[in-house]
Amino acid sequence: MSKFYGKKTRVSSEMALQITSMADIFTIILVFLLKSFAMSPVNISPPSGMMIPEAQAGALNKEALKLEITQNGVQVESKPVLVLKNFRFAPGEILGNLSSQSLNTALEKEHKRQELISKSNLDVKVDSKILIIADKKVPYVTVKSVLASAALNGFTDFKLVVVQKE
Amino acid sequence: MNVNNGGGHGSGPSQDFDLNLAPIIDCFTVLITFMLVSASFLSIGILDAGAGAAGQTTMKDTPPPVVVQIELGEQYGMEIKLSGRASDKIKLPATQGDWDYAGLTRELMQIKAKWPQSDSVILSAANDIEYLQVIKIMEKLRKLTPSILLGGF
Repeated sequence: MSKFYGKKTRVSSEMALQITSMADIFTIILVFLLKSFAMSPVNISPPSGMMIPEAQAGALNKEALKLEITQNGVQVESKPVLVLKNFRFAPGEILGNLSSQSLNTALEKEHKRQELISKSNLDVKVDSKILIIADKKVPYVTVKSVLASAALNGFTDFKLVVVQKE
Repeated sequence: MNVNNGGGHGSGPSQDFDLNLAPIIDCFTVLITFMLVSASFLSIGILDAGAGAAGQTTMKDTPPPVVVQIELGEQYGMEIKLSGRASDKIKLPATQGDWDYAGLTRELMQIKAKWPQSDSVILSAANDIEYLQVIKIMEKLRKLTPSILLGGF
C-alpha cells in the first residue's frame, strides 16, 4: 500500500494543451463544409416553418427564378409579392383567367428584366424555367393560380422543388 | 513546433519556439460555426413539369393522337380521361385510403401500349387537393411517362 500512497508524484504546474490535433480536425471539417458549399449549384433556403414535400426526383442543376408559396404569402426571389390567408388567395386577387393580379405584375417585371439583360448580353437568354418551392399543404387551387400567372408571363418550364427521399 | 537550427555550440540564445495555434483554432471555430449555421443539409430535388391547359397539350409539330388527362378528386379518387382519336373515362377509386397507384400504372401502361406516340400526361386536381398529393402522383407518373404537364388552368 505504501507503494501507492506513500510517495507523492510531483505534477508539473505548467500544463500545455495539445491543440495540434484539434487544428487538424478543424481543418478537415472546414474543407468538408467548403466542398459541400461549392457542390450545390443552386442555393435554396426554404422559409422557416415551410414543409417541402418529399419525393424521388432529379437533381437540381441550374439556377432559375424562385417562387415560394407559404402559408402566409407568395414570394418571388425572396421578395414578398402578396399575402395569402391560410394558403389561399384573397377573393379579389384572382382574375378571370385564374392568374393572380399581383403575381402577374411581379412576374412580368422579372420577365422584362431578363429580356433587358438578354438584349445587352447575347450570351444570356430569356429563361422559361421557374423554381416552385411550395409547402406540402398548399391546396391545388392556389398552385393553379400561381402556375397560371407564371405561364402567362412566359415561365412555362415548372421545376417543382422537393426534398429528396432517402 | 520545435525548430532547432542545431549548431551544437550552445553559446547563443535558444532558437526553439512553439507556434501559437490558439488564434488559428479561434478562426476555425468561428468559420465552422458560421458555415454550420448557414449550411442547408436538405438534399433538394426537382420534378419537371410543363404547362398544359386542360384539354390541350403543349405546342408540337405533330400533336399526339390521344391526349391523356388525369384528374385527382376528393377522397383519393382519380379519373383518367382520353380525348383525341380515342375517347374514354376510367375511374380509379381509392384503395386502402390512398391513391390506386397500381391501377394508375396498369391503365397508363395499357394506353402507352395502344398509343405509343402519346408521350405526355396532363395532371390536374380538385381545388382542395394538397400539393403533396400532386407531388406523390407526379413521382409515380415520371416513371411511366417522359413528360408531365400541369393543367386545370
